[in-house]
Amino acid sequence: MIFVNIVSPRPAPRTVASVMPDEDLRLDEDTAQDHPWIVLVWNDPINLMSYVTLVLQKLFGYSKEKATALMLDVHEKGRAVVSSGTREKAEIDVFHLHEHGLWATMQKDGPDS
Amino acid sequence: MRRRRQSGPIESNDDGTYTLNLGEYEKEVLTSFTDQLKQLITGDADDPRVRRLFPVAYAQDEEANNEYQRFMREELVASRVAAIDQVTGFLSGHDPITAAELSGLMMTINGLRLVMGTLLDVTDDGAEPEFDDEDDPLAAQWQLYGWLGWFLEWIVDAQASD
Repeated sequence: MIFVNIVSPRPAPRTVASVMPDEDLRLDEDTAQDHPWIVLVWNDPINLMSYVTLVLQKLFGYSKEKATALMLDVHEKGRAVVSSGTREKAEIDVFHLHEHGLWATMQKDGPDS
Repeated sequence: MRRRRQSGPIESNDDGTYTLNLGEYEKEVLTSFTDQLKQLITGDADDPRVRRLFPVAYAQDEEANNEYQRFMREELVASRVAAIDQVTGFLSGHDPITAAELSGLMMTINGLRLVMGTLLDVTDDGAEPEFDDEDDPLAAQWQLYGWLGWFLEWIVDAQASD
């Protein structure tokens, strides 16, 4: 099979947490009260920009403009907050993003995030 | 952006279905690759070739992430396997396909692309080699990676402007 006739894979890269800055991820305070968890999508070199935009539109019902803006944030700034809510909602969002192969994480919003 | 609906591998129809314009050989090759993908994702959970398909969910909390993986990984595998089975089903069977089937095809093609990109150690946006470099021992893999990206663009485009 073509997947085994190839150079051996490299070890896993550093985790997202170890390389990413923490600043600038907080939502405004009112939102944070109601929606303590945020979902982030991180830039990766494989996913196509058009694909990421379409997935954000499909999963969250965003307009093409909003989805494109978020995709560009991911591409240019390294990550973007794509949704927020309760922990349960954030886990479901992360799951659907993972289902589509996007590099998504979730974290509690607040001073540490 | 490509806007020529008639000449690509995917054609959107007026009734909401999609027609696959793939040759028999392309369908056979695609079926073979999706079978291999299924073997990989149902195999060893620590296989580095599929790490990109099962990302970390909690980047700042290892314990929470372990718990998430314990509950959700199986779901993620089941979802991908269901999509693959659907794809291999219609590749050898019916055409046109439904919007839901196209969505499964899109996720599967993207999954293949993520595995190939991981194996080829794609790191920088746009920094892909020439696909026709015959001296590169990985030329075939790069060609496949390029083909998957081309096909995925068409699949996205078929849905994007609706």
